[in-house]
Amino acid sequence: MGFDLRIESLRPEKSTLHLQGRLDALTFVEFDKKAESVLAQMAQRGTVVLDLSALDYISSAGLRSIAKIRKVMRAREGQTLILNPQVQVRKVFDIVKATPLKEIFANEQELDDYLARIQQRALSEDDDGN
Amino acid sequence: MVRSLASRLALWVLSGATLVFVASGFLLFRMVGGQILEQAHRESGALAIEGSSLIQERLDKITDTARVLATIVGPRPFDAEPLIHDAMAGDADLAGLAVAFIPGTPLAQAAGQSPFVSRTGEGVLVTRDLLKDPAPYWNAPWFQKGLTCHQGCWQPPFLSRSRHERLVSYSSSLSVDGNVVGVVNADVTLDWLQGVLLAMKVPAGIHAFVVDREGTYLANDTVGLVGGKAPSSLLDALNATGAAEKWSQMTPLNQPDSNAWVYDEPIRGTDWKLGLVVPDEQIYAGVRRAFLYVFALGAVTLLLLALLTMLTIRQLIAPLGVLAERAESVARGALDFALPPSRKRDEIGRLTGAFDKMRQELAAHLVELTRIAREQQRLASELDIAQQIQTALLPGPHYLDARCQNFELFAALRPARTVGGDLYSYFMLPGQRFCVLIGDVADKGIPAALFMARTITLAKAMASRAQSPQHLLQLLNQELCRNNDNCMFVTLLCGFLDTASGSVTIASAGHDPPVIWGEDAPRLLQLTSGPALGLDDEASYPVFRLRMKPGDTLLMYTDGVTEAVNDVLGLYGSERILAKIEEFRRSGDADPVKFLGDDVEAYSALLGQADDIALLALRWNHVGLEKGASMLDIVFPAVVDRVFEALERSDETLAQAHVRDDVRTDVRLVLEELMINMVQHGGGHESDGMIGLRLTVVQGDVLAELNHNGAPFDPLQFASPNLTGDIADKEREGGLGIHLVRAMASELSYTRDEYGNHLQLRFACSGMQGDDHGL
Repeated sequence: MGFDLRIESLRPEKSTLHLQGRLDALTFVEFDKKAESVLAQMAQRGTVVLDLSALDYISSAGLRSIAKIRKVMRAREGQTLILNPQVQVRKVFDIVKATPLKEIFANEQELDDYLARIQQRALSEDDDGN
Repeated sequence: MVRSLASRLALWVLSGATLVFVASGFLLFRMVGGQILEQAHRESGALAIEGSSLIQERLDKITDTARVLATIVGPRPFDAEPLIHDAMAGDADLAGLAVAFIPGTPLAQAAGQSPFVSRTGEGVLVTRDLLKDPAPYWNAPWFQKGLTCHQGCWQPPFLSRSRHERLVSYSSSLSVDGNVVGVVNADVTLDWLQGVLLAMKVPAGIHAFVVDREGTYLANDTVGLVGGKAPSSLLDALNATGAAEKWSQMTPLNQPDSNAWVYDEPIRGTDWKLGLVVPDEQIYAGVRRAFLYVFALGAVTLLLLALLTMLTIRQLIAPLGVLAERAESVARGALDFALPPSRKRDEIGRLTGAFDKMRQELAAHLVELTRIAREQQRLASELDIAQQIQTALLPGPHYLDARCQNFELFAALRPARTVGGDLYSYFMLPGQRFCVLIGDVADKGIPAALFMARTITLAKAMASRAQSPQHLLQLLNQELCRNNDNCMFVTLLCGFLDTASGSVTIASAGHDPPVIWGEDAPRLLQLTSGPALGLDDEASYPVFRLRMKPGDTLLMYTDGVTEAVNDVLGLYGSERILAKIEEFRRSGDADPVKFLGDDVEAYSALLGQADDIALLALRWNHVGLEKGASMLDIVFPAVVDRVFEALERSDETLAQAHVRDDVRTDVRLVLEELMINMVQHGGGHESDGMIGLRLTVVQGDVLAELNHNGAPFDPLQFASPNLTGDIADKEREGGLGIHLVRAMASELSYTRDEYGNHLQLRFACSGMQGDDHGL
């Protein structure tokens, strides 16, 4: 069982990366490359969604790859959201406290609601600014 | 029974003095008595002579008168009557005078009468003519006898009826021209004679008397006896009086017990004797009285002397009595008392001083003894406790591998004293390894026991970190060398048994070689040994590997077995061990340790066990491997690809063993993190780096062992990373993997030896299935 990455709806505002298989010391290099190309296209204040529903396994090497993505996105004032991590991955995330809990979502609906609330707030902020 | 020393001494003094006093008194009395008797003889003899002379003097006057008359009357017979009358008047001593003529003679006719003048009681002279007496006098005996007395003689006494008096008369014959014609008779009364006798002034107590030839008393100081016969004993004594001695002895009639002395002297001119009877009492009375006084005085003196002696001695030895009493109380155990004050430097004073000193030293000694006894009791009880503690340090004497009965162990420890320096121990180690060790601390007793406790405790604590027995010995040696100034050391034989395969690795620190037997005859395992533990902190220990076949037994022992000594000072020796083991092998007994231990005990029974004895036998049964076998045991180069190959194999193996998915993933994660670490930090030469991985499932738990010959790397040394809640916060992501490893593995231990790093991990499978955790 190797690793596979499927990139969906690649837009500067929001891209979703579907991770499959194992993200470990053997596969993180490949993932880093692909992620880099995606990140290059991301706009300021964009959102990267990492869909982990098909990721079976992650080791510290994989965690470092995710950390890199979060760093890049943070530098662009964007955000990295985690969607539906499986048992082992969730356990690893918990142990190392990888991401804030509010940025982990059990399903796409929760994620969409969260994004909508963000949108709403951004709009109202704009109104206030006017 | 006289108990007091004083009264006994006084009694002896009294007795001795009395004896001397009485003896000398008696002797003196005898000597003085003899002299006194002699003196009495002299005096009484003189007295008798004097008395005799006195009486003779008076009698001579009477006889003179009679003789003169006889001379005168012859020629003048007719004047006879006036002559005798005048004579009577002139001599008061005379009681009567008579001139009796023979009737018919011319002279008688010329006289015409035989005149007799007597004196009456009133002193009146009466004259009578004898011829006119009714009884003719010429026939009377006195007259007849008087006729024959030409020189005059005294007649026997007679009682005058007319005068009522006892008289004695002197008769002298009257001759004219040679013819006897009559008798002149002069009478004296016995009273007169008595008066003469008494005039002697005989001293009181002396009996004086005059006796005539017939033994009739003529005079006697006892008046009643006069005229009577003297007793025959007295007469015998008188007759016995010899010429040389004027005395003789007699026993008075009325006093048969007493003795008396008789002295007599004849009165000249008569056939009378004057006698004196002097009783002993009379002679000795004075000296007896004197001696009595002396004796009385002496007795009083002696009594006083005895009393004084007793008082003096009692006063002298009074402290002795107190000392005796105190000594008795010392014998009863009481030492606290006051002694009589003694200022004198005599024997008693010295004795008191010495006694007091002895008492004090005895008391001090007793206190010391009590203290020592208490101390010994305390030591004994502490030794008992120490023995219990030491026993508690040792595992039981029998161990049977409960899970699969692959092996069985027998052990025994027999200390020579309460506690000893021999030790044995055994325990399971991670990775299905079973550690056995046996050791012997130099020296015996408490120091050895303490060092033994230190060794066994350290060994247990370090065994889990030790990769191999030689590594354990090395670790122990370094620890025991620390602060070991008195150079205690311990020989140790340590073996790790792989309970899955039966292979044993053994390392020896100066210990006796073990014995192995099974199908083959017993033999010594000649393994190379390192130095004893505690001497050289840089020592290293060679390893000896052995594969036990089913039924093989490995026996370890201490030198208390080989150096046991019998009554002829023969050593037990390893040959005898081999011989006994061969005997045991054929006997089919179960417990070789008891068999050999009992034989050693019997061997050294006479001289006693001199050294501690420890025995440990490990038998490999090889019953079943299926449960405890290593499922994976691979070695591969430390490169990433090979690591992931190994991870795949490990995953497959665990899946085949039906290990739960979540555990498998944990194992994979941990192994990946550790092995990647080894690859990345293992050192420059990648080609040299080798990783060994071994997996075992025991009772559902997964045991993993990772060995790597790279640079030192202890995952336990890293501090936990600072977890902020966002991995993007970290400058470097290092440390996350180790954090994960520590979080995932149930147990993790790290050791390092000359072969590199050794990690041992355990993953518990208890608890819920991962699928049920939910999120």
